[in-house]
Amino acid sequence: MATKTDEQDKLELLKDILFPDDREAVQDISKRIQLLEHLVNDQKLLAAKVDPLVDDKLNSFTKNIPNTLGPTITATLKKEIKNHKDDVVDALYPVLGKMVKKYVAQEIKILSDKIDNQLGFIKRIKRKMRSWFGGPTEEQLLMRELASATIEQVLLIERDTGILKASYSVTNTIDEEMISGMLTAIKGFVEDAFHQKNQNLEQIQYELYNIHLQSFVTHYVAVVISGNYHLKSKNKLQDIIFNFYYNFMAMNLDLVFKSKDPAKAGKEVRTIEKELLEKELAASFGNAKI
Amino acid sequence: MQKSKKVVILGHFGVGKTSLIRRFVNDQFSDKYKVTIGVHITKKVVTLPTDDTISLILWDLEGTDALEEIRDAYLLGTHGIIFVFDVSRPSTFQHLNSDLKIVAKKVPERPLLVVGNKKDLVPEEELTQLLENHQISFNYLTSAKTGDTVEDVFMELATLLKSDA
Repeated sequence: MATKTDEQDKLELLKDILFPDDREAVQDISKRIQLLEHLVNDQKLLAAKVDPLVDDKLNSFTKNIPNTLGPTITATLKKEIKNHKDDVVDALYPVLGKMVKKYVAQEIKILSDKIDNQLGFIKRIKRKMRSWFGGPTEEQLLMRELASATIEQVLLIERDTGILKASYSVTNTIDEEMISGMLTAIKGFVEDAFHQKNQNLEQIQYELYNIHLQSFVTHYVAVVISGNYHLKSKNKLQDIIFNFYYNFMAMNLDLVFKSKDPAKAGKEVRTIEKELLEKELAASFGNAKI
Repeated sequence: MQKSKKVVILGHFGVGKTSLIRRFVNDQFSDKYKVTIGVHITKKVVTLPTDDTISLILWDLEGTDALEEIRDAYLLGTHGIIFVFDVSRPSTFQHLNSDLKIVAKKVPERPLLVVGNKKDLVPEEELTQLLENHQISFNYLTSAKTGDTVEDVFMELATLLKSDA
């Protein structure tokens, strides 16, 4: 009686005789599978095959962004700008203000130089005459003319409420929160009384002091200045204020968009730490020469 | 962080708005009547029972019989309102409801407390009857002169504003 192994051997022999092609096909498939396995496992080889495809897809995606994502991005931006109009306008205000101011300042400087040239001679004579007739010396008069203004106090105030956001002060004054409220009331009164829309109270003068008020959309900055506060000082001061305010609004906008975080939804935190603001104020105005 | 809140005190002429603030801020009272012109601003930091502090910036507006004439600039950004009337002068509260409607229109959705001041000038029974006759609903009856209930008004508003923050 033939054993089971003998039967199998015979069967294999028979298969070899009957299906030689089949065996070759199996060997061929097995080789191909090995090759594919090698290709998939070897990252470099795979990357060489796949990367061009991904690159192609990415390129076509990038090219199509204006068509595919464009409307969504525009709609989202429009919505954000609409929802935070004041913040966006406020953030742009210093940038636009600077541009307009620089243009106007340039034109005024040209005009002023022309006038100075005309008046310089008269001024020199006037100074000499004053010093001849027992007044201060010519040098003293010159010094007085050139003496620069000094920043005594800076207040960042919420425009509607008059609430003080941050302050920087060289000298001691009465409660700054009360000053902020009172300045806001005076400002509101003047702007209301003359029914001039979009006009802002810009300066309050008292003896040797000036208060420069720079209004923005949601806040305004009040700067108390002692000394000779003239057009040049004002120009420099406005630059400092614009720079500070631009930074402040950038911080504010960051907070606005951070507070969009769904985890914080409903608890919109939109305040910058007072200490941080006061550091900013001190850094911007502390050693400023105007 | 300590929050600051803008509180406006409104009411007709001579109802004691300035006196109430003076009593609350400085614990003082004067019989001499000094008209407020425009606005006067004072501040008081209040500590609540929860140990939270809140800085009340008090805008004492000049009295007016025509509330619609109050400058909008003074009311911008108001966080809370105290409307004061004089319990001894019915002319200051006989149109209270319409006055309050004007206030609510000018400063919508803000905590508002209605205060009848000078309670020391009218006997208690007579006062209750008077206010009932005029169908006046109020939050507090105070006396800036004696200091009675003055603190309570500002403390309640401070509490409302703190929870509003």
